[in-house]
Amino acid sequence: MHVQPSADRDSTQRMMEGKHRITGFFGSFGGRYVAEVLRKPLDELEEAFITIVPSREFQEEYQGKLRTFVGRPTPLYYAENTTRLLGGGRLYIKLEGLAATGAHKINNALGQGLLAKRMGKKRVIAETGAGQHGVAVAAVCAHLGIPCRVYMGEVDMMRQKPNVFWMERYGAEVVGVSSGSRTLKDAVNEALRDWASHPDDTFYILGSALGPSPYPDMVRTFQSVIGKETKEQLAALGLEPAALIACVGGGSNAIGFFSPYVYPGNSPYETDEQGASRPEGEKAPLLIGVEAGGMGSGIGQHAARMTGEGKVGIVQGYKSRFLLDEDGQVLPTHSVSAGLDYPGIGPELAHLGEVGRIEFTTATDKEAMEAMDFFARTEGVLFALESAHGGAAAIRLLPTFPREAVVVVNMSGRGDKDLFITAKELDRERWKEFLLREAASLGGSL
Amino acid sequence: MTADSPKKLMCHLVAGYPTMELSFQAALGMVEGGASYLEVQFPFSDPTADGPRIQEACVQALEGGFTLEKGFQLVGNLAQTFPTVPLFIMSYASLLYRRGIPWFLDQAQEAGAKGLIVPDLPFDQDEGYYQAAWDRGLHPVSVVVPTMDPGRLDQLLSFLRGHGEPYVYVALRTGITGDPTRLSDENLSFLKSLATKGLKLVAGFGISSREQVEALSPYVEAVVVGSYLVGIIREAAFPSKSSEGGKDALVKRAVAAAVSGLIQSR
Ligand SMILES: Cc1ncc(COP(=O)(O)O)c(C=O)c1O
Repeated sequence: MHVQPSADRDSTQRMMEGKHRITGFFGSFGGRYVAEVLRKPLDELEEAFITIVPSREFQEEYQGKLRTFVGRPTPLYYAENTTRLLGGGRLYIKLEGLAATGAHKINNALGQGLLAKRMGKKRVIAETGAGQHGVAVAAVCAHLGIPCRVYMGEVDMMRQKPNVFWMERYGAEVVGVSSGSRTLKDAVNEALRDWASHPDDTFYILGSALGPSPYPDMVRTFQSVIGKETKEQLAALGLEPAALIACVGGGSNAIGFFSPYVYPGNSPYETDEQGASRPEGEKAPLLIGVEAGGMGSGIGQHAARMTGEGKVGIVQGYKSRFLLDEDGQVLPTHSVSAGLDYPGIGPELAHLGEVGRIEFTTATDKEAMEAMDFFARTEGVLFALESAHGGAAAIRLLPTFPREAVVVVNMSGRGDKDLFITAKELDRERWKEFLLREAASLGGSL
Repeated sequence: MTADSPKKLMCHLVAGYPTMELSFQAALGMVEGGASYLEVQFPFSDPTADGPRIQEACVQALEGGFTLEKGFQLVGNLAQTFPTVPLFIMSYASLLYRRGIPWFLDQAQEAGAKGLIVPDLPFDQDEGYYQAAWDRGLHPVSVVVPTMDPGRLDQLLSFLRGHGEPYVYVALRTGITGDPTRLSDENLSFLKSLATKGLKLVAGFGISSREQVEALSPYVEAVVVGSYLVGIIREAAFPSKSSEGGKDALVKRAVAAAVSGLIQSR
C-alpha cells in the first residue's frame, strides 16, 4: 500500500463496495508511521479487513453474535423528564451501555475477535485504560475460545481494580505495564511491542479508532453499528436528528455514532478541505464531540486535544492532534474518567474537526459527575463517567434548540463500573465506613 | 570468515541518561573502548520501537530534564571531541515533526551529525524527511527487518538509489538467540542478500557478547550495541555497593571496558 493523502475520505465505504483499498488517511491525518517490523503484520491485517469483513459469511456471523451475545439492538430512549425539565429540544439517549460488558467497546472487540479467528490467529492481545475495552476483549475471547492477554498501566490497574478482577474471571491474563506514565498510552506501547515480537500467531485488538492504519478504519467500521441503529430507530419514529453528541476519548464511540451522518446517504465525500458535503435536501445534523475538560486548562489537568492546546504530531503510528510539549514529548493528561484521558485523538475525528464537520467542546470532571447524578435521578439511567461528558454537554445545549429539534446523546457506557470513583466523590464518609468495615471483615486494615 | 574479520561497533547511548554529563562520559568510554560509530538516541516519551530497558532510560532522561537543545549540544560536543567518529542521531517522528523536520535537520547538521535513524518515518511515509536530509548532506538511515516483504525491500532500494552508498540498519529482532555464535538461517540469508546491494549495513538487536559480534562482523559495516550498554551505564552510575572514584570516571571506565571486551581478539 503506497499511502497518499487522497480526496476520497469514505474509504471504507468504497472498500465495502469492492471499489478500492483504503487509503488510511483522513485529510492529512492518519497513516501508518510504524517501524518496519510492524509493517507486515499491518499489511496482513489490512488485507484481512478488506477481504474478510465485507464477506457474507463474516457479516452473518458478526450480526448474529451482535444480537445473541452483545444484546443488540440497544434501545433509543426518549428522555421525556429531561426534555420537560430543561425546555428546548427533545432529548434521546442511545443506551449503548446496555450492550454486554457495559459499553460500546464490545462491538469492536467482537468484530476484531472474529477476524482474528478467521485469520487463524492463536492468541489475542489488547491494551486497556479504564478496563472497559479489556473486559470486552476478555469476554469475547472467552466466548470464542482464544487465549487473551491484556496490557494495562499499573496506575490504571490501581484505579480500576474491579475491571482487572472481571477480566481475570473471563480468563484473560492481565499484565501490568510499569513503563512511562503507566497508563493507557503505555499499555498501547507494550501491546505494540508484544505484537512486533509475535506477529505471526498474534492478533492485536486495538480498542479505539486510532493507531496505525487500518485500525481507525476498522474500528469505525465495527462501531458504526451504533450510528446505523440510531438512524433506523429515529426513522421508525419518523424523526431526523438536529444534533448528535458523544464523548471523545480515542474516539471510537463518537465516530461510530456519527459515521452515518458524516457520510449522509453513505455516499463518499464530494469535497476535500471544505468538509463533508451531503446530498441536497438532507439536513446534516450538528455533530458534537465532548472531550475531557478535567480540572482546568493547565498542563496535565485535562485531555482537550481539539479545543485546547492540541498540536499536530505523529505518535503511536499515526498523525493526528496530540497533547505535546515544544519538543514533541507527549504531555500528561487528566480526567476523572479513565477512558477519556488519552493524549491523542483518532485521526478521522481530528480531520472532521479541522474541516468543521464536527464541533468539539469539553465538560469538566465536575460537570460530568453532576450529569451522571442528574440522569440517574431524572431518568433512571446511569451514565458511565466517560459518557456523562456527553450528557453534560447535552444538558448545556438542549435549551438552545427549538421545541421540535431532536438531540441524541450516546451513552457509550453505563456507570456501574465507576462505583469506586463516584462513591468516593459523592458519598465519601459512608463509603469510607463501608470499605473499612469490609476490609476489617477480611481481617485487614486500611 | 570468523574471528579475523574487522570488528567495528556502533555504540548506542541515550542522551541525558542517567544525566547529560554522564551520557557524555559514557560516549567518551565508548570511543576509548574502540567504538567506530556513535548512535545518540534523543529520548521520546513513547518509544514504541525500543525494548523496556531503553524505554526506562528514556523516561529517566526526560525526568532529568532532557531537551532537544541539550541533545544537540551533546552531539555538538561529541562531534568536536571525536571528529573522526561518525555520529548518528536516533529518535522518533514526534520529535522531528513537532518543530518541523527542516529545523530538526538543520540542528543535526550544525551539530555535526553524520545521519539520523528514525524508525517511525518509513521511506514511503516520510513527510519529506529523506529528501530534506539528503539536501543537507545527512544520511537518513533506513531500518529493515528480515521479515520484510521482498517487494517492499526492492522498493526501498530503488528509492535509495543515486544516494551513494547508503547506510541501512538491520534490526535482527528475532535475531541471534540460542547459540550466540551462530546466526539464524533467516537472518543470515537476509544479511547475505543485502550484502551484494552496495549498502553500508549496520546490524544489531540484543548484542551483548563477543561471540555475537564475531558472528555478525563478516556481513556488516558495524555491529550495533544498544541495551547491553544501557545496562552497563546503569550499573556504573547506580552501583549496588559503594565504590571509589567519581561517577564520571566510573561510567567512562565501565563502558570502555565493556566495549573493548566486545571486540578484543581472543
Ligand atoms: C464507556 C466509555 N465511553 C467512552 C470511552 C472512550 O473511548 P472512545 O472515545 O474510543 O469511545 C471509553 C473508554 O474506555 C469508555 O469505557
